[in-house]
Amino acid sequence: MQELGKIHQLIINLGAHQAAFNLEVMLMTWIVMGLLLVFGWLCASRRTMMPGRLQVIGELIVGQLHQLTEDAMGKRLARTYSPLICALFMFLLISNWIGIIPHMEEPSKDLNTPLSLGLMGFAIAHYVGIRTKGFKAYISEYFAPMFFMMPLNLIGELAKIVSISFRLFGNIMGGSIIILVVSYLTYNILLPPFLYAFFGLFVGAIQAFVFTMLTIVYIATQAK
Amino acid sequence: MSYNIDTWLKLAAYTGGGLAIGLGSIGAAIGEGHTAAQANQAISRRPDLSGEVFKSMLVGQAIAESAAIFALVVSLVLLFTTPANATFATVWALLAAGLSIGLGAIGSGVGAGFPAAEACKGMVHQPSVSKRLTTNMLIGSAVCQTPSIFALVIAFILLYTDTTSSPVWPTWAALFGAGLSAGLSAIGAGFGSGLVAGASCEGIARQPRSAGTVTNSMLLGQAITQTTAIYGLLIAFILLFKPYQASEAIAPAMALIGAGLCMGLGAIGPGIGEGVTAQSAIKWIARNPTEVGVITRSMLVGMAVAESTGIYSMVIALILLFVV
Repeated sequence: MQELGKIHQLIINLGAHQAAFNLEVMLMTWIVMGLLLVFGWLCASRRTMMPGRLQVIGELIVGQLHQLTEDAMGKRLARTYSPLICALFMFLLISNWIGIIPHMEEPSKDLNTPLSLGLMGFAIAHYVGIRTKGFKAYISEYFAPMFFMMPLNLIGELAKIVSISFRLFGNIMGGSIIILVVSYLTYNILLPPFLYAFFGLFVGAIQAFVFTMLTIVYIATQAK
Repeated sequence: MSYNIDTWLKLAAYTGGGLAIGLGSIGAAIGEGHTAAQANQAISRRPDLSGEVFKSMLVGQAIAESAAIFALVVSLVLLFTTPANATFATVWALLAAGLSIGLGAIGSGVGAGFPAAEACKGMVHQPSVSKRLTTNMLIGSAVCQTPSIFALVIAFILLYTDTTSSPVWPTWAALFGAGLSAGLSAIGAGFGSGLVAGASCEGIARQPRSAGTVTNSMLLGQAITQTTAIYGLLIAFILLFKPYQASEAIAPAMALIGAGLCMGLGAIGPGIGEGVTAQSAIKWIARNPTEVGVITRSMLVGMAVAESTGIYSMVIALILLFVV
């Protein structure tokens, strides 16, 4: 049970400060990105009017996510942001699924990955808000309905980052802790494959979708 | 009469084990009973579809029961394993582990009953969509389990945590507070997300063409309903992993328990309230799928306002943790 919460870190001293790198997470993130690049290349390298199997899968994913973005944001914004949404979903999906391969770890199991993606979504949403409404209207929203509500509105907005990132982190890390403990208790007999199917494939896919949906909604509500 | 640490550990493990499965079976039993009740009604309406309804009732009940099974696992672990390197903080950790999963399983158990019940009912109204309904029910009730999974994670961390390197005072209070925070905060979220999933199953049966929109909106509604449970998880993590200075004073310890209680209790109401908001929104999205944009926006604003009380609790819990 010693693996519970253990992290492989590379710590570099920079004067008085320390820079820590989570090597496993970085490696896994690069593997996920590599897999996505290969998938994209395979889908798009031999484009034909009569699509092959891979091209159909690729077009299906892109088309569905574009439709989803367009429903929430409208045509104009969707043109800009649907590639981002598409990339976010596929990255999270592969990140959540990669843990079912032995010796692989989900990058989303480490809080840094969901938190940085959540911060990215937050920053983009507020950028869109300022762009579409103008700076003055954007700021005045924080003072609605009363001016003294400002601190609470601000906390409520910041709490969105916490909730979106901890939702993904809690689910993926929770799944992996449950798999670890149950495998340990049952001496790896019988139960773990079912748990991997449920927590890895099913919950992983749902949570990737939920994270993507919430990012879309955060951007869309700022734009309105 | 003086007791040594082994006696206290046994005491905590047995009490915790009893609380875990005792509290944990409340919700699942209610949820399953609700499902069966609706299935009976459905079968009496369309006896020719009884096989299909019966099947979906059993599947739905099996998922509703998973929260109680989590509690059973923790109970068995508490009864049959003895923790290594135990200190007096471990005694409280074992008790808190039982409370965490016991309380945490209540909401998800009741909640997961709603989608199963509505799926059984919808199946006889609209037999042609029974496949879509079953898929939606499975997704909805699986997401209902998320709060109880958070409670289970905290329970497992509490069970296997090593307390030898941290001072007994006030660590015991932090561990106990973490269990309370994760367990209590899961009640409202589990119940609320069940309401949302139930509304989506009912909506799909009524208006099958809205199925895709309704499932997407359901996931969104459930995700936001569970936000307060995530705050509970966050406070529990901070309580578990924050380093503490040894002090025999009673005030810092009580502040830590208070933080856990405040976050846990404060999350119950917003969980249920947001669930009710999203339930109604999903119901009307299903009836009027073309207006999904407007309804979603008003749902999100309503939920954000309902959630603000949960945010107040989180602010107070953070103040108790870091300032007091």
